[in-house]
Amino acid sequence: MQTLATPDVKKANKLAATKLGGKLVNEYWEMVFRAKEQGKLVCWYEGSAINPFLQAADICWVHGEAYSAMLAARHQEGPAQKAAEERGYQRELCSYARTHLGCAVTNLRNPVPPDAPFVSMAEDKYLSSRLPAPDMIISAYAYCSTGQQWDEMTSRLFGKKIPIFNVSLPWIWAQKPDAGYLKGQEWEETSQYVAKQLRDMVVFIEQQTGKPYDWDRLRELMRQVKRGSELRLEAMAMCSKRPAPASFFDWVASIAPINHLPVGKPMVDFFQAVRDEVAERVTRSEGAVHKEKYRLFFDGIMNWNKVGWLAEKFAKYDAAVVAGRYTHMAFWQEPDLIDPKDPVLGMAQNYLVCPNNHSAPILIGQILKLCRQYEVDGMVLHASRTCRAFTNPQFLIADAASKQLGIQTSTFEGDVTDDSFYKDELVNSRVEAMFEAIDAKRSRAA
Amino acid sequence: MKNYLAPFAAAAARPLEYAAAWKQRTGRKVVGSFPMNFPGELGHAAGTLPLILQESEEAITVGHGLLYPFYCGFTRSLVDQAAKGDFALLDVILFGDHCVQLLGAADAIRMQLPNTRVIFYQLISSMNDPWTHGRAVESLTGLKGELEEVVGHPVDPEALRASIRIFNRNRQLIRRLYELRKQGRSGLTSLQMQHIVKSSMIMDKAEHTALLEPLVQHVEGLGARAGDEVRLHLSGHFCQAPKLEILDLIESCGATIVGDDLYHGFRYISTDVRETGDPVDALAEWYMARNTKVPCPTRVQNNVDWDAYLINAVKEERAEGVIVLMAKFCEPHMYYYPEVKEAFERHNVPHLLIETEHEGVALEGLRTRVETFVEIVRRRQAA
Repeated sequence: MQTLATPDVKKANKLAATKLGGKLVNEYWEMVFRAKEQGKLVCWYEGSAINPFLQAADICWVHGEAYSAMLAARHQEGPAQKAAEERGYQRELCSYARTHLGCAVTNLRNPVPPDAPFVSMAEDKYLSSRLPAPDMIISAYAYCSTGQQWDEMTSRLFGKKIPIFNVSLPWIWAQKPDAGYLKGQEWEETSQYVAKQLRDMVVFIEQQTGKPYDWDRLRELMRQVKRGSELRLEAMAMCSKRPAPASFFDWVASIAPINHLPVGKPMVDFFQAVRDEVAERVTRSEGAVHKEKYRLFFDGIMNWNKVGWLAEKFAKYDAAVVAGRYTHMAFWQEPDLIDPKDPVLGMAQNYLVCPNNHSAPILIGQILKLCRQYEVDGMVLHASRTCRAFTNPQFLIADAASKQLGIQTSTFEGDVTDDSFYKDELVNSRVEAMFEAIDAKRSRAA
Repeated sequence: MKNYLAPFAAAAARPLEYAAAWKQRTGRKVVGSFPMNFPGELGHAAGTLPLILQESEEAITVGHGLLYPFYCGFTRSLVDQAAKGDFALLDVILFGDHCVQLLGAADAIRMQLPNTRVIFYQLISSMNDPWTHGRAVESLTGLKGELEEVVGHPVDPEALRASIRIFNRNRQLIRRLYELRKQGRSGLTSLQMQHIVKSSMIMDKAEHTALLEPLVQHVEGLGARAGDEVRLHLSGHFCQAPKLEILDLIESCGATIVGDDLYHGFRYISTDVRETGDPVDALAEWYMARNTKVPCPTRVQNNVDWDAYLINAVKEERAEGVIVLMAKFCEPHMYYYPEVKEAFERHNVPHLLIETEHEGVALEGLRTRVETFVEIVRRRQAA
């Protein structure tokens, strides 16, 4: 006898609009793969979102972490990581870098066979070899020393024949009495120092293209970035409602459009659609999980091999992961600082507010503010094995969350793109213990 | 020889004890600095004892509650020492190097020691940009200003030049030992060389130099030593000193170390500071020059190559092979290792990679590897 299908109430209720993001991601990488055929210069970079600078100069851009993350999310990171290991890069090295350097190794030593033209992102078996070689490298990495070294090694891998430009982004140590988030002498001086380097970077770009830089185009692009960012933040803020209409994992799925996809109307439309869907869910009281029982904060970088897996895992426990350091403290997070008429200083400042580039006291202050805003019951910390930039302050964060907010915390090990560091049973037992503790606390309070 | 070396060995073994005694004796402040580019001359000219903080031999315990175990032993050990209260005697802690793990350690230490001033003077790590020198001058000027606040008086340029002269003299003496070692005339083991360099990071420089001068004189008087050991270069190990038992083990397997680029070795004393002109400018120049002299993977500089430096060093030292000591989880080293490995392969230089850990390594297993490596080198030379 046939029975009517019942909805699986334990499944994550993902935003439909993020599917559009997947389409934009595919179109962008396909554009990258065609760049050389179209006579475009290709720039490799990591870290800060300098892509509007490149887009304004008609240069094709390849963001290293984005490519590594994309491969991991599609479970196609293996060949690149194997190539890197064969060259001698050790497993404890940043797996973003290891994967991307592996792509460089395969580009040089094991290129795509000529009889294997690109068909589609879904079907292509040669994604790790598919990246076009760089014509230039720009290094602009906040906080993590690994970024600059990764770029340097990429340059050396290509025989130091590719021009490289380094932008140095100092860490905000914030020791002086006037120091704080986006304020104080150190902040002002550092912002100006970075802005000056960005202007010098534009001169470098002009040298590569042989053309005067199109500042008007940059201004227009930054107007759109600002708008996209405002819509994204507006949608995020609506998740302080109960039930939360979208989850951390929806925001993870929305990183590419704000971080490295082409700036333009499709990007703004994407965030408009996300914002509208979130607003509709609020009016319908529709949550990111069907029966919201717990609200959590996610500290740490994403485990790109496990985005869907973790979204479903938390949904199974009726836990809405409502905010995170990675998603809520990065990616053009301060649009008010961007003046589209004169965008460089605001761009520098947004690069400086990456989710690690303030020392622990300021960082913790910002995290606790988010925890209060989203009224979380607990915090889950992803100790990403090879991303020390994110793991550095985690014990301090957990301690502050516990002492200052009185919330439960739970840590699990994984990694950004190396699946082998993730142990599912450990995650289950630790997360379950946290939920038990939250339940016990509620019982005592009742 | 042992008499000459005993004070160096004592300071190297117990750096904080030495600093505490110095502080008690002089009534002056002790400045503890993270490695590897702190210009100790600034601290010296300010009247303090500039001490490079060292990895402790003690097992890491409470530090596990502040940093994950997948960090290099040096950062974990520093945090552990801070959490245990070992740094209580330090009046100031400084750091200027941009290494992601050190930044994590600095944050943890500042939170652990709320009453200790922790100064950050970020040194630019991109070494050949048009603004590198200017930015280094700015960072060092800022550091000088903060040290002046700590000691409560300005640092006179002439005092700084005097400190530079004292430090240069010390470096020159140690470099002389390196030269004699290369010629097979020093008779000093790697362990003893480490005691000399490491204690120079800890002791009052004038005192260290006063002890060093008779040692160098003594060594100058020794003749060339004939031996059939395999000549090796030791490479790597940046912030922390290699374990003494590993150095001993290598030399007990039929090898002699004729050169190194360890931080607790030649890297630390490779370069002198200009003694004339503006002294802060000279220190910035030194910061840049030492990366050209002995390139460091923690810096980025596209026009110098650590691998090329190593190949040259091997030739100059007439080394027959290289042992690479890599501290586990050291990212800069992990990045650069494939470059170095491929250069060794291109130039037919045999090498052995040894990964080290704070907690120690299984020495007998290591002995087999080193003995095999020495035998391979020996046979290659005989062929």
